Amino acid sequence: MSLFKTIFTGSNQALQAAKEFLNKVIEEKGRDHKVAFPDTAYSLPIIYAATGQKMNTLGDLEGALEVVKSLIGEEKENLENALNAGLGTAVASEVIEAIKYATIDTPYSEPCAGHITDSVIRSLGVPLVTGDIPGVAVVLGECPDSEIAAKIIKDYQSKGLLTFLVGKVIDQAIEADVKMGLDLRVIPLGYDVTAVIHVVSVAVRAALIFGALEPGDLEGLLDYTLNRVPAFVNAFGPLSELVVSAGAGAIALGFPVITDQDVFEVPTRLLTQKDYDKFVATSLEARGIKIKITEIPIPVAFAAAFEGERIRKGD
Amino acid sequence: MDEKLLSIDSAVNELIKKAKEDGVETIFDRKENMKPCPMGEKGICCRICAMGPCRITPKTPRGLCGATADVIVSRNFARMVAGGAAAHSDHGRDIAHVLHMTSKDGNYKVTDEEKLKELAKRWKIETEGRDIYDIAHEVAEFALNEFGKPFGTLEFPPSLPEQRKKVWENLNIVPRAIDREVVTIMHSTHVGCTADADSMLNISMRTAISDGWGGSYIATELSDILFGTPIPRETEANLGVLEENQVNIVLHGHEPSLSEMIVLAAEDPELIELAKEVGADGINLAGMCCTANEVTMRHGVKIAGNFAQQELAVLTGAVEAVIVDVQCIFPALASLAECYHTKFITTSPKARITGATHIEFDEEKALESAKQIVREAILNFKNRKKEKVFIPKTKSHAMVGYSTKAIINQLDKVVNSHIDKPGTVKPLADCITSGVLRGAAGIVGCNNPKVKHDYGHVEMIKELIKNDVIVVTTGCAAQAAAKAGLLSKDARKLAGKGLATVCELVDIPPVLHMGSCVDISRILELVGLVAKQLNVDISELPVVGAAPEWMSEKAVSIGTYVVSSGIDTWLGVAPPVTGGPRVLEILTSEMENMVGAKFFVEPDPIKAAHQMIEKIEQKRKVLEEKFENIKAVAQA
Ligand code: SF4
Ligand code: SF4
Repeated sequence: MSLFKTIFTGSNQALQAAKEFLNKVIEEKGRDHKVAFPDTAYSLPIIYAATGQKMNTLGDLEGALEVVKSLIGEEKENLENALNAGLGTAVASEVIEAIKYATIDTPYSEPCAGHITDSVIRSLGVPLVTGDIPGVAVVLGECPDSEIAAKIIKDYQSKGLLTFLVGKVIDQAIEADVKMGLDLRVIPLGYDVTAVIHVVSVAVRAALIFGALEPGDLEGLLDYTLNRVPAFVNAFGPLSELVVSAGAGAIALGFPVITDQDVFEVPTRLLTQKDYDKFVATSLEARGIKIKITEIPIPVAFAAAFEGERIRKGD
Repeated sequence: MDEKLLSIDSAVNELIKKAKEDGVETIFDRKENMKPCPMGEKGICCRICAMGPCRITPKTPRGLCGATADVIVSRNFARMVAGGAAAHSDHGRDIAHVLHMTSKDGNYKVTDEEKLKELAKRWKIETEGRDIYDIAHEVAEFALNEFGKPFGTLEFPPSLPEQRKKVWENLNIVPRAIDREVVTIMHSTHVGCTADADSMLNISMRTAISDGWGGSYIATELSDILFGTPIPRETEANLGVLEENQVNIVLHGHEPSLSEMIVLAAEDPELIELAKEVGADGINLAGMCCTANEVTMRHGVKIAGNFAQQELAVLTGAVEAVIVDVQCIFPALASLAECYHTKFITTSPKARITGATHIEFDEEKALESAKQIVREAILNFKNRKKEKVFIPKTKSHAMVGYSTKAIINQLDKVVNSHIDKPGTVKPLADCITSGVLRGAAGIVGCNNPKVKHDYGHVEMIKELIKNDVIVVTTGCAAQAAAKAGLLSKDARKLAGKGLATVCELVDIPPVLHMGSCVDISRILELVGLVAKQLNVDISELPVVGAAPEWMSEKAVSIGTYVVSSGIDTWLGVAPPVTGGPRVLEILTSEMENMVGAKFFVEPDPIKAAHQMIEKIEQKRKVLEEKFENIKAVAQA
């Protein structure tokens, strides 16, 4: 299947899943049942930033799915439509995650963080701006073994990057004894692909909080994430259509995707790297992240010891 | 004559108006008065022997010799191919002679040593520890032999995919020596020779291939070796580049061996001084047609205009000299120049024109010769009639200089050094297979007063880039694009999201000027390299070609070799083949089974663009199936 068709397929799956989930909970709880993520002033941040609309009830989410539908559009294969479809997957995922929070008592528990609160994001703001956190790595899927997973995650950790984990790689990291936690800059989000939305939510709220983005300014949002949020995605193991379409969402936000799978590569945006030893270097180069390491090796918890600087390739 | 219908270029329309006021005629007037003969238009008129002329009508379905409409049409077509291939190839031969003339302290030198050595290696010429000029001379000799070697077949460049060569072998259309193919056409079209349309077209394909992958390819490669491989640079285009207070010299024609020397001569301090002595601020060179493309690609010389504008340059009253060599030069310039102070200077013994000032360009004393010609132009400045001067303000910014090498250099910008090596076309191939670029189109060819000037080029290009099809262009089409601002990096705002993103990442305009008509070989090279990168045949790539305003026999040869190379080609003007049903059938249908591509005729450039896009999408589907092994994406 062509890359774009794969994306459209995944986006439609995301839409379908969100729709079914929503219909089911509406039947159980009714349209007026309240919807909200804990400890955020930005409602459903992605939908809020992209459309300017706050989602208050399950009924409101029906409208959000209309947005998804329009983003998936007519499916004429071209980059513009594919990226929109990717954003559609992001919105659909946020709807699914929001329903979880609205209907399940504790949708996420140790070790998974799920939704990240506003106050955590505010605390990350300064180190991100100063370059103390030189980049944000989103590691998702399943590595060939936990040793490889640990090696890559620890490498990011030692360079001061903030790493989010989604999927089986969480178990692999635990198995290989990777130290995790916000202060250690490794945060497991959840096992479902849709949990990746909680890191997108971080980027989006960064734009709203630190970039003073007007809610509803989608173009401004994409510009901010591309130019100001040094994030990238590492996708390991077999890629479902859903993952590919979520990847398109990342690319739409300006975050390159590096995978160990065979895909139709897009220069600087979607890359295949089969050599796990080169995964970190490939990713940093793709996102234009340059790490300056101080002379004395200090444990990673003292993250301020790592000075990071982002530059664009070719500068 | 309704001016608004003549061109989309305001400079052209303004000067057509001036022509009327000045009481002189241009091609646009002559077109008005000319009623093309319907027999010739269909290609069913034969003048090959003195029993004729014969023409095919319902009453006379055969010529005196018995030749049918198809035989006559195919012979006429073949001779057009031969004319075109001969023009390109003689150009290539001359460049080879110039390379043979190079010396360390001569006028002609080797500029791109690396390219010379590459070519030498390909041709198994020793390079180790040898003087660069010894290598150059041997390479030149080898090239010259390609035109007339008695045995064997053409040496193909490494950009030709094996699959394509197989196709040609099976059809028995692998060219032998270049001249030989042209001669064979002249032979086979003689009275009483080939009388089979299929066979005649086969011979035509073989000859055309000897042009694209032979004569033109050699012309381009050797020109790069002599004068430098083009790199991206800025320039300006349209008649607005002529300067009120300078000696304006228009370079028109094709061969860079002359124009390169004129460029040097125009920088000569003594001549610049002379220009000041006669009251000018300096010397202003501007190019026209393919010579313009050659000097703009290598030096950023400004582009005065394309084919249909050559008379209009003189009409500005501000041109001291039009210096020409060969090909696409209106003989009408001689009498037109008489109405102004302009000197119309011919330089080549291959293209003398009655009424022109002939100053033969002596390649042995090239710079001296070029200086003499430039001096002639400068001295003519004082004859300029102020009251007759009108320079339209129109001009556009353009990026030029996209040789294959330059494109690969740009692509290196997006290579991740931990995955791929620099110096390949892989990023381009990736953009195409992923679908970020839907495909690529080569838009080439001339102007033809049968269609609104530049309209075909510009509208087609705009429609293609809007749909994420990257466009490469050469010849007068490139100049139309330059004038319309499509060669500027800014033009990416007219492109679809995919193409615009690529342009931004790679730092290129959405339309790449790849040079002159012989430089269409660069397009073959690029397409061939992408095919090899993906290990497919050229005919499998989502790549199309078009000549929306073609007119010359060279364009016929080009179209034929492009189709023979596996690239579907759209023509905006119907070739004179409609009177031969079998010929038409082969060109517009059966060739697809033979070489994997065919001709399309569509005068409406937007409709043509949509057909091209549809074709691109079809090819993508087939290619997609081929790449099903990358299904891992979809599985799991
Ligand atoms: S070659 Fe045949 S068709 Fe042509 S002019 Fe002679 S007799 Fe007539
Ligand atoms: S494009 Fe056509 S008109 Fe222009 S220089 Fe080439 S052959 Fe001549």
